[in-house]
Amino acid sequence: MSAPASSNPANAALEQPYTRQEMMAIATGRELRDGDLAIFGVGLSMLAGYFAQACHAPNIRTMTEGGVYGATPVGGLPWGIECNRISANATSFTNALDALGFLVASGRCDVGIIGAAQVDKFGNVNTTGIWDGDGVIGGHYRLPRTRLTGAGGANDIACGAGRVIIMVTHEAKRFADKVSYISSPGYLDGGDARARHGFVGGGPSAIVTTLGIMRPDPVSKEFILDAWYPFSSVEEIRANTGWDLKVSPTARAVPEPSAAELAALRRVDETGMLRKK
Amino acid sequence: MQHNKLISLADAVERYSWDGMQYASGASLPVGSDAIVFGRELVRRQRRDLHALFHCNTQQLNLLAATGAVGKAECGFTGLEVFGFANGLRRAVESGQLVLEDYSNLSFGLRLLAGAMNWPFAPATVNIGSDIQWRSAFAPDEYPARAKIPTVTDPFSGREIGALSPLKPDVAAIHVPLADPLGNAIMLGTEWNRFELSRAAKKVVLIADAIVDTACMRQFPNLVRIPDIIVEAVVYWPFAAWPQSSPGLYDVDEAHMQAMNKALATPEGTVDYVRQYIDGYADIDSYLDMIGRDTVERLSHTGTAFLLDPFRQWIKTPEEVRALSSGDAR
Repeated sequence: MSAPASSNPANAALEQPYTRQEMMAIATGRELRDGDLAIFGVGLSMLAGYFAQACHAPNIRTMTEGGVYGATPVGGLPWGIECNRISANATSFTNALDALGFLVASGRCDVGIIGAAQVDKFGNVNTTGIWDGDGVIGGHYRLPRTRLTGAGGANDIACGAGRVIIMVTHEAKRFADKVSYISSPGYLDGGDARARHGFVGGGPSAIVTTLGIMRPDPVSKEFILDAWYPFSSVEEIRANTGWDLKVSPTARAVPEPSAAELAALRRVDETGMLRKK
Repeated sequence: MQHNKLISLADAVERYSWDGMQYASGASLPVGSDAIVFGRELVRRQRRDLHALFHCNTQQLNLLAATGAVGKAECGFTGLEVFGFANGLRRAVESGQLVLEDYSNLSFGLRLLAGAMNWPFAPATVNIGSDIQWRSAFAPDEYPARAKIPTVTDPFSGREIGALSPLKPDVAAIHVPLADPLGNAIMLGTEWNRFELSRAAKKVVLIADAIVDTACMRQFPNLVRIPDIIVEAVVYWPFAAWPQSSPGLYDVDEAHMQAMNKALATPEGTVDYVRQYIDGYADIDSYLDMIGRDTVERLSHTGTAFLLDPFRQWIKTPEEVRALSSGDAR
């Protein structure tokens, strides 16, 4: 396998045989356990999920929020959750109420992977919009400067899945002390705030980024740095995080992707989505 | 008495759309099934002030928003999945021309279910505690919003949950791959919200890629999730979801998805798009010419084509459909 990462100057300088996006996908995939009932959003999270299935967790039971069960993508990353690339080998087609309701809101789903435009120290996710100024919307609902995609099924997964993995590119602007708009709840204002709403799901278990992995403090639920990658550092991660990121006393470097992991990921990522930048 | 409900697309839009109506479409997925050709006809007819109820944004809502046909919209997801942000919808929202109320993909389905059941509300265990509950674009000065997803108490446990308002769209234009002339439909791929939408809407118009004999429905009655008794009209229109996909029949047209979204990013691009891809056809033949016969052929070579195999023997030719339509379906 060649080193396609060389198209990215940052990666070329680091001489990594894989991209940061690939490391993020592999680190996310490592969070999944064999046998999990798992729901993936479209895009990178789907690649991470199917990578886990192709690599170390062959008995993951997969679904999309549209109700496509038992399928694996063919011909590359699906363009959407009803794309023919994922509809070509399903064992069951149902519907959104079934997948997001009967199987996620019920509490049956073990794990979900969601993305984020912005995430805060309590793992709350904004995918709705970017607001001018300090980003605080205020008492009157103002129009976003930039409208994003909305919550989609991520709010439902964030409320109902046993654990949630948030996958996000690590940039300071994306890591806010407090998100402008909570599209999908993490731990809200921390502590036992989720209990006030009786969510059946446990909340985000990890934020996996292009630089490292954060996990919630068991009591405060504030996300702290748990791991960095072979090519990143605590300093780099702290500099790119919009709150005063604490570092776990047990923080460590995660192992490099193995040859088997990279091969499995690239079989799933047939069209090279994760190698483009 | 069951009767033939095949009518032309122009007649369907003439009869079943009006300015200011609550309009739902579907399946309303950004890449899959959606009655996009019905939306093109709405633009051609210059319908205005539509209140769009789309479980997810699609290229249809993107187009309707870009052309100024929609004043209000309610959605769960408003992007185009891997094709990115929906530029037409985005432009309309950011300029304030379209007021967009946010829900999630489960709460939207639950609201349709509540409408279909004639429930006063559906209990929400999702969306609560987030800004989807606290922020209302329809009531911007109310914070936290009280009328969008009001908090109610579960009478059994005492737990505080949300109340989701029911949806009963005036009209739903629902895309299906296969329908018979009576209005029975079989879906391939995920139904997304089509089952509950077909029951929630006051009037249902089916937009079908292919028309099959009713004998097909009698062979697979378990698969007929939309029965004729709730359907007003059936429109035959191949490639009705183009440039999106229809599992079993055709793949997504990646180049057109991107070109269309790029065009809808600006008013000028939108005018050009309308001229080329809405004014650019007058009937099914010229529509398929516009897509390009080579493209039609290529997209039809889908890896999902085997899904259609059990039904092929009942598919009517365009000539047979025309004859059935007795001159009504142009």
